[in-house]
Amino acid sequence: MAQKNPAKRTSPAGPPQLLWRREGADCLVTNDFGHYAWLKCKDFNLLAAGSLGEKHPKYAELADKGFVRDRLDFEGLAAKWRSKNAYLGTGPGLHILVLTLRCNHKCLYCQSAAAGVGARNADMSVETARKSVDFALQSSNPAITIEFQGGEPLLNWEALKAAVLRARAGAKKAGKQVSLALVSNFSLMTEEKASFLVENEVSVCTSLDGPADLHNRNRLFSGGNSHAATIKWLKYFQERYKHQVPGYRTFKPSALLTVSRYSLGRHKEIIDEYVKHGLEDIFIRPLAPIGYAKKCWGQIGYGAAEFTKFYLASLDYIHKLNRNGTVIREKMAAMMLEKIVNSRDPGYVDARCPCGAAIGQIAYNYNGDLYTCDEGRMVGWEGDDTFRIGNVRADSYRKVMASAATRACVLSSNLESQPDCARCVYKPYCGVCPVYNYEVQGSLWGDMAANDRCGLFKGIFGALFALLKKPGGEAILKKWAGK
Amino acid sequence: MKNQPRANTEVAVNLKKYSLETVRYAAHAASAAARVFIKLKGPATAVVEFSPTGKLPGPKIAAAFRAELDDETLRAKIWAANSELRDFMILKALSTEPARAQQDDSGLTPEQEKELDDLIAQVESEIKQEAAAGASADPLGITKTWEDKYGAKKPRKKN
Amino acid sequence: MKEEKKEFSLTADPRVYSAEALRLAAFVFSDRAEVCVKPGKGGLAVSFASAAPGFHPGDFMNEALNQQCRLDLAKKNSKAAGMIATKALLSAAGEKKKA
Repeated sequence: MAQKNPAKRTSPAGPPQLLWRREGADCLVTNDFGHYAWLKCKDFNLLAAGSLGEKHPKYAELADKGFVRDRLDFEGLAAKWRSKNAYLGTGPGLHILVLTLRCNHKCLYCQSAAAGVGARNADMSVETARKSVDFALQSSNPAITIEFQGGEPLLNWEALKAAVLRARAGAKKAGKQVSLALVSNFSLMTEEKASFLVENEVSVCTSLDGPADLHNRNRLFSGGNSHAATIKWLKYFQERYKHQVPGYRTFKPSALLTVSRYSLGRHKEIIDEYVKHGLEDIFIRPLAPIGYAKKCWGQIGYGAAEFTKFYLASLDYIHKLNRNGTVIREKMAAMMLEKIVNSRDPGYVDARCPCGAAIGQIAYNYNGDLYTCDEGRMVGWEGDDTFRIGNVRADSYRKVMASAATRACVLSSNLESQPDCARCVYKPYCGVCPVYNYEVQGSLWGDMAANDRCGLFKGIFGALFALLKKPGGEAILKKWAGK
Repeated sequence: MKNQPRANTEVAVNLKKYSLETVRYAAHAASAAARVFIKLKGPATAVVEFSPTGKLPGPKIAAAFRAELDDETLRAKIWAANSELRDFMILKALSTEPARAQQDDSGLTPEQEKELDDLIAQVESEIKQEAAAGASADPLGITKTWEDKYGAKKPRKKN
Repeated sequence: MKEEKKEFSLTADPRVYSAEALRLAAFVFSDRAEVCVKPGKGGLAVSFASAAPGFHPGDFMNEALNQQCRLDLAKKNSKAAGMIATKALLSAAGEKKKA
């Protein structure tokens, strides 16, 4: 790294900014630019005191990484900061269209959420779907993703089809790069629908909670075997992916894992299930006591320590598989590593500063109401519209971006204003969730000292940095990033 | 504090050595494991009461609090020496527009674009078939095409 | 049997806990107790009425300390925090202005 415009030398030349965490005789240090280093505590003390001499074996590395005040490469470090926080220069990239509240499943973690298949006034109209797409295309972000969700979105096929066609036509007109994605349980998929999706370059994602017994325990489906339907269509889309044809790109299908209490202790079987079905990514997502899941938390929930144990065991097992030549990576880790290792923004709206609520993502409810995110919509479903930012028919894009809820979420999720986060070694890579704070702790700001989500993220970061410290682990993890 | 059980552990802090702000943050950091209450005793002493709420006993919480006092003092020192520099760095990073990728203007005719797209699709298909045949030899997906890895179509730049 | 709602009170030193921090904490705890903050003998008198089951005044004081630390931090970090929030909001709205 070139050393340009060195700052005026001050004596002693300590760090310009420093975040740290002591772990026994070692100390992990990070800074605003996203750089990190492991130091012996005695070396940390030298660095902090500005007494780390130029001949010290760690000096060059620390100077390159922006830890020494009189050796700052202003241009290079500012570029790193900008790259890691690239989302600050763009608007909402993720647009979640809730095409219907109806669902044919009764999953444990949202059992009171979805309306029954026969429910009325629970579908997005074709007109609202088109208006939602038009609204999304107004985003200041040059590359957006429109994600179709529910309920089960295939229950409202006409709106889905209309939105896809509108997005494809509108993208060219708006000069935007538009990705389309469907999140479905696949139980209502047909050959005709699948072909339409593939031909219009809609990527598909489903839920796979593990082997059949676990999946079906979490995801109750009175119309049949949920696991069997999921696997059947996963295979179908994988075959389509393998046999690409000219004219359109077929994407590889993906799956999401929701960790319930029943998943704990079964990490190997879950990961093996993913590998068995040719999935190369597993996104180990914790459950949050928000909206519907809050009501049944006692049955399906768990604490940060339990999740961290599960996550650590899963990472260890995935590593073991990688060493044996099996292709699989954990997606949360991959996204965090993109920031840690490459100082690049992975586009993960849940862990950034400020969080992606409204300014990174928007949830479009079936009736055209707009929310800061899908979690905010869930709170709205419970009768509390704190996170409602407008309506697709009534409000302009600019008005929505300037709404009280948008601003409140931006301010409260700014880590510079969070007493614990501002001092935390993981701050350069992390983010808080105002919806979680509001639901669990009673305020948008929350109290990170007693916040389980914070504990959970600390567990994940702790696991990743411990693996990065190991020479073998670092080699594998670095390849996960930016894949 | 009335109507509350007595605090399990009390720590007296010399305010000539540590600022009240430092004491507050160090006490707050310990609040994950205890209910915390701070009183002032005379002009130069703060007394921090810890009433444990979990498994961690009072003396361990007090020890963590004392360690945090020193860490927070160090943070305050670094902040005092560098706050303007840090603000400057953030402003610098925010003020410079990153180089934007060019819009989709390849300089090709629509027919040429289509031919090129077809050619890319064909080559990709061949690569995927080869990769699928030797999947176990490439655990990290090194032979995967760029499109496979990133999914989205990117504009081609003019030469 | 319906648990009887309890009442508690305490005195906080305003040099440690500002009235603003206590009021912010009272707002956060408004669904758990009726909190009243007023000047009293020896400091700020905080009283709690109609406390919900499980309420503990120590939890309220932890929140007050959290709020006080947030206020302390705002004095230090407001410039950096303001630049980041402004940039994020302007970019999202499509404004090209620099932060």
